[in-house]
Amino acid sequence: MPETKDRTTERRSAGLAGGLASAAKQAVTRGGDNVERVAKRFAVKDVNLFYGDFHAVKDVTMTMEANQVTALIGSSGCGKTTMLRSLNRMHELTPGAHVDGQVVLDDEDIYARNVDPVEVRRLVGMVFQAPNPFPTMSVYENVAAGLTLNRRGISKSETDQVVERSLRGAHLWEEVKDRLDKKGSALSGGQQQRLCIARAIAVEPEVLLMDEPCSALDPVATLAIEDLIEDLKSRYTIVIVTHNMQQAARASDVTAFFNLEGAGEPGRLVEMDATDKMFTTPSKKETEDYVSGRFG
Amino acid sequence: MAEARLHYQDHLDNLERNCLGGLDLVVASLNRTMEAVEHQDMELAELVIADDDRIDGRYLEVHQAILTMLATQAPVATDLRLISALLHVMHSIERMGDQCVNISKVIPLTGHDAPVHDEMVDRIVLMGKQGRSMLSQAKKAFEARDVEMARDLVRQDDLIDNLNKECFQIAVQVGEDKDTREWAMTMMLVARALERIGDNAVDIGEQVAFVVTGLFREFEDASHPGQAPLPST
Repeated sequence: MPETKDRTTERRSAGLAGGLASAAKQAVTRGGDNVERVAKRFAVKDVNLFYGDFHAVKDVTMTMEANQVTALIGSSGCGKTTMLRSLNRMHELTPGAHVDGQVVLDDEDIYARNVDPVEVRRLVGMVFQAPNPFPTMSVYENVAAGLTLNRRGISKSETDQVVERSLRGAHLWEEVKDRLDKKGSALSGGQQQRLCIARAIAVEPEVLLMDEPCSALDPVATLAIEDLIEDLKSRYTIVIVTHNMQQAARASDVTAFFNLEGAGEPGRLVEMDATDKMFTTPSKKETEDYVSGRFG
Repeated sequence: MAEARLHYQDHLDNLERNCLGGLDLVVASLNRTMEAVEHQDMELAELVIADDDRIDGRYLEVHQAILTMLATQAPVATDLRLISALLHVMHSIERMGDQCVNISKVIPLTGHDAPVHDEMVDRIVLMGKQGRSMLSQAKKAFEARDVEMARDLVRQDDLIDNLNKECFQIAVQVGEDKDTREWAMTMMLVARALERIGDNAVDIGEQVAFVVTGLFREFEDASHPGQAPLPST
């Protein structure tokens, strides 16, 4: 399919400075998983994060591989959410907050001077702890919101297609297809969170960041989201912050453990490895103590 | 950092103590078994057979406690390796108890007035002593998480294996008398059961290495003798 290939190339070369292009399917096998589309990888190098004078995260270097789920775990205040928010330049929205170091998406530094943070957030979508659909918008409008912002002049039929594809991608289509005009806020908590995921993937991002996406959901809705995460990684790179260690163990390929050196000290990356290794034979005692629940 | 999950740790410690305590039950059973062999004491042999229910009961108890622990505590890392190892150890203990029963069941076959060859009986008694010593060493190695002590069980097991081979040679050359040959064949079943007990003790040693290193490797691979690598530490 030469046409598909060309569109992919166009999209890749457009990168952070370019606009939105249609997604192209590529059947690839990566790390034993079938990958429908090769997403981008994140490489974080010597990153330090600050809130004013407060040093929140210290000297983090890590790579989040494409089409894999990377879980960030650690006790409260260890900087994992701050780390996550630095990956789509949301950290800098806090007054006084700043970032040192490099955050590179494939080969582009998202903090380079000529990069538009809005485009970064288009490429790197975010799903938050509490489901936050736009309350006055319908299910349809919620999903289409990002599209209409990013692509003015998009046709109704194309929008219809993207909305359906995104809702199917978020495992929500069958449940809402007959009530697309109802308010998004009228859905159940689990459905609202999947609606937010549909909204995030409608603009075909490269990476999905998830900040404790299940902490407000019941166990059944939680497992539905975890199934969804497993499917989504065939198209996107996923980074998830979770307090639920079993969720990290179930849903991620790689786990990164953050911890504080002491009270008032900055958070740092203690250990990062394949999730099964982190939960069976972690290299560091600090990780062992945390994953086995002996502190934290 | 404050310590957490103190009750969980207590449960885990109890589980290990209960499981390894099974080794003491096997040692007691083996002591009686060897005495019964040495003196053709059929009443004592029957006691060994009846008393195996205690070892089986311990197996069920530990097995259930492990399932509960897995279902309710979601153990990970060293805890998970320990629990997995305890399941294997408990299985080995149950097998060793069965070997004592197997030996006790054949004692009546030797008859009251057996044509005893001392050179064979001496070796079997030595095998029993060596087996007891290995069980005690396996328990100590597990409690101390001592991989070297566990690894030494292979050397100890070689002694049992050699005695077993010697018994075989004696049995082969025991002569033409039918009763003596029957007796020697029966004693070979005893030697074989003791040899298996030695192997089970080595299996427990392998679990010690697994708990400590996270890698499971057989100390000695029966299909490739002398080639199995040491677990890396």
